[in-house]
Amino acid sequence: MGSISEGFVSLGPAAFIVKALLVAIGANLLLLGFIVLRRSYRKRFFRRRDARLLEIQRDWEELTSGAIPYDSWRTKRFDLRIIETVVLDKLEAADREEATRLLKFLRASRLIEKLIFEARQHTGWRKNRALVALGRTRAPEGIPALAEALRDRELETRLAAIRGLGRMACPEAGNELLNWLTEVGLQVPALPLQSALVECCSERPRMLLNFLHNAEMPVRQVIARVMGEIAVPALGSDLLPFVHDEEAELRAAAARALPCCDGTLAIEALTELADDPVWFVRLRAVVSLGKLAHSTAIPPLLRCLRDPNRLIRLRSAEAVLKIKIGQAEIFQQVLAAKDRYALHAYVTALDNSGLQERLTDEIARHDGFSPATKSALLQALRTGNLHDENWEKVRKADFANAASAP
Amino acid sequence: MIARLLAISNQTLLYYYLLCNLSYLLMLFIAFRTSIAHHRKLQSFRLAWIKEAPLSPPISIIVPAHNEEKSICISVLNLLKLQYPELELIVVNDGSTDATLAALRERFRLRPIRAVYVSQIQSAPVRRIYRSETHPGLMVLDKDSAGSKSDAINAGVNAATCPYICVVDADSVLEDDALLRIMVPVLADPDRVVCVGGIVRVVNGSAIRNGRIERIRLPRKSIEIIQVIEYLRAFLVAREAWASANMLMIVSGAFGVFKTDLVRQLGGYRPHAIGEDFELVVRLHRYLLDKREKYRIAFLPDPVCWTEAPSDLKSLGRQRSRWQKGLLDGLWRHRQMLFRARYGRTGCLALPYLWFFELLAPLIESLGIASIIAAACVGILNRDFFVQFLLFGYAFATAISIGSVLQEELTYRRYNDWRDVARLLLYCFLEHFPYRQIQIYWRLQGMWQYLRGDNTWKTIKRTGLENPHAQPSPEGKASAPFMANQ
Repeated sequence: MGSISEGFVSLGPAAFIVKALLVAIGANLLLLGFIVLRRSYRKRFFRRRDARLLEIQRDWEELTSGAIPYDSWRTKRFDLRIIETVVLDKLEAADREEATRLLKFLRASRLIEKLIFEARQHTGWRKNRALVALGRTRAPEGIPALAEALRDRELETRLAAIRGLGRMACPEAGNELLNWLTEVGLQVPALPLQSALVECCSERPRMLLNFLHNAEMPVRQVIARVMGEIAVPALGSDLLPFVHDEEAELRAAAARALPCCDGTLAIEALTELADDPVWFVRLRAVVSLGKLAHSTAIPPLLRCLRDPNRLIRLRSAEAVLKIKIGQAEIFQQVLAAKDRYALHAYVTALDNSGLQERLTDEIARHDGFSPATKSALLQALRTGNLHDENWEKVRKADFANAASAP
Repeated sequence: MIARLLAISNQTLLYYYLLCNLSYLLMLFIAFRTSIAHHRKLQSFRLAWIKEAPLSPPISIIVPAHNEEKSICISVLNLLKLQYPELELIVVNDGSTDATLAALRERFRLRPIRAVYVSQIQSAPVRRIYRSETHPGLMVLDKDSAGSKSDAINAGVNAATCPYICVVDADSVLEDDALLRIMVPVLADPDRVVCVGGIVRVVNGSAIRNGRIERIRLPRKSIEIIQVIEYLRAFLVAREAWASANMLMIVSGAFGVFKTDLVRQLGGYRPHAIGEDFELVVRLHRYLLDKREKYRIAFLPDPVCWTEAPSDLKSLGRQRSRWQKGLLDGLWRHRQMLFRARYGRTGCLALPYLWFFELLAPLIESLGIASIIAAACVGILNRDFFVQFLLFGYAFATAISIGSVLQEELTYRRYNDWRDVARLLLYCFLEHFPYRQIQIYWRLQGMWQYLRGDNTWKTIKRTGLENPHAQPSPEGKASAPFMANQ
């Protein structure tokens, strides 16, 4: 040893480089060794795991029925992990009957208790993994543990709890989420929360109404978007008050939910929302009017075809094409508006939906149009444009045929 | 006097080299940490849930294509099969002179439509728009060529209707779940995450059938294997590390997701930018920092895009020269950001790093070599010290390369065959000579070309994704994997 250190001393300033060189060579050897050892270990591990997985799959019925005693594998970490993975995967794809059977197995084998324990006692990524696994079981007894995790200091844990509760997909889980939201406000990014609420509240959307009335921004916005996603006809008049709400998000949510309500009421409200000053409210209103596909929706849709926002123009055109009757007259009115953007939007939507030939036939066979109007309409349809002299023809025809318009 | 100057120069080189390597080492450690954390985070994520979620935002995939007849159909097929709830695929035929459009028309039964196309961002005129009869989500824009990829992407951005755009190269294929994976940070925090980059890997040597990767293997040629190591080092080490501190300065043009509105607000990709992907990301940083907004530009190592790497020296040289030009162009254009407190760590750390350890590296290294030779001639070079230093440099650089292979081994393990890993490790030892010195020459050449104003697009020989026959195609990628050159 003495001679090595003496050797270094004799090297002078180069000693540093020699030492660094030795460290670098050592690091290379260590890295190589680690890669080789890890590869060998993993190869053995996966071979063993695959073999055990096959055995477990083969004995699955006995395992779940308890014919093979639960204690025989519960204490073996290796087996436990495989069985947990298999049962959670099977639960995801299971029908109601199979899910009940698997849940019974989870309870009997006390796997669910293990997951609840891990969700409560572990920390960091292990806790997060347990929370999501607990959600995948859809066992109601997991809800309290998930609700506790909503109050965790770590954002990742809160998000995992939200995902877990979302996976539960039951109103009880939804209630926990909503109570927590009203209690602490919006402390997580909105999108994962909305997704979870959509899952949980779609069975009973009415549960959102109370929160929607009492919550403050931005929680109210989040709930409104969820409502927009899952509203059902039964909500009917409950949604109408939101048409005049001061928050644009809520008006948009109402617009989105309204097609599920009574037709006449919905069209009136949506017509109003189609003139909203906020673009995304108008967009939602137009899409909803398209869903209703009723002839009384034509005037607001034709108005929106001239909207300054191109997305709204395009969606209006798509919506107007969903109305199956009187497309020739509608096209005539589009032309009469003398707005090239509106015409382009209509022609685009027509091409996209492949309805061009049908409209050509309809115009050609229409009794109410003069040959000149027909020719102008067909030319406009073909070229996607209308020459100035033809505008007037169509405008005149428009007045002449106003009565025949739907 | 000369001897003194040479001594100072050699000493400066030594410190530069040490600093450079220490920064790589630091990045390697950060990357290990981040990567393991990400891997663990994924355990509490179920990608299938994203696929089912009604609120997952739709994505417009934009594929700029110029003379890509050999690979375009495979690439489009691959993209149509991606797992994601709502997708719109926009292929931009950028004035191809080969049969790119004809191949698309035949394979996907395209019919012309008169879609509304508003040129919100400036781009060359669009001649015609097509939609597929067999795949309604596929739209093809046939436009005049403006001689740049940026222009083609901008046309795609104009046509996009989804809140997010994903730009993918026409000679690349994505793994089935790549979009689900790349959207993980967006879904977790859509307000702050403005852009996410995925990893780009070398597809040469792997088998692709019907737009799907069937078997992943390491390429055969040395030049391709060295590029595999470079890509691993650049993506799994450098980008991972920079992104962990929100200082990622490049999202690969071959695969990245951006907020559509933001790209439009920025005026799209800069026309005629040489490294358009790098320039856009620097501009994003600048714009958002100017507005003092909270944002995040993320990188994920698990959404994988497989791309074809050049397989001959001439093509590789052209690509590397171009990357260097792109880097110089982008950095020079945003030089006002340097050391300005307003731009925080981006201006004070990330950009200076790129200037000194990426852009100027070939210049400093070649000066260093020259000064060592001069010192030897003058007789002031301590030969023992020099040899030891050379060996240390070699061993250190090898350790970083092995570290990036280890990073791949610890996390994503795409190369399953023992022989592939053994060859990869072998090339970690072989890549330093003479490849590295040749690369210095290419990069210097790129800088010289830029200074002369020679920004022409030179062809790179490509074999096609499934086709073994070589065919020339213009260089489409400008995603310099910084730190590839260490």
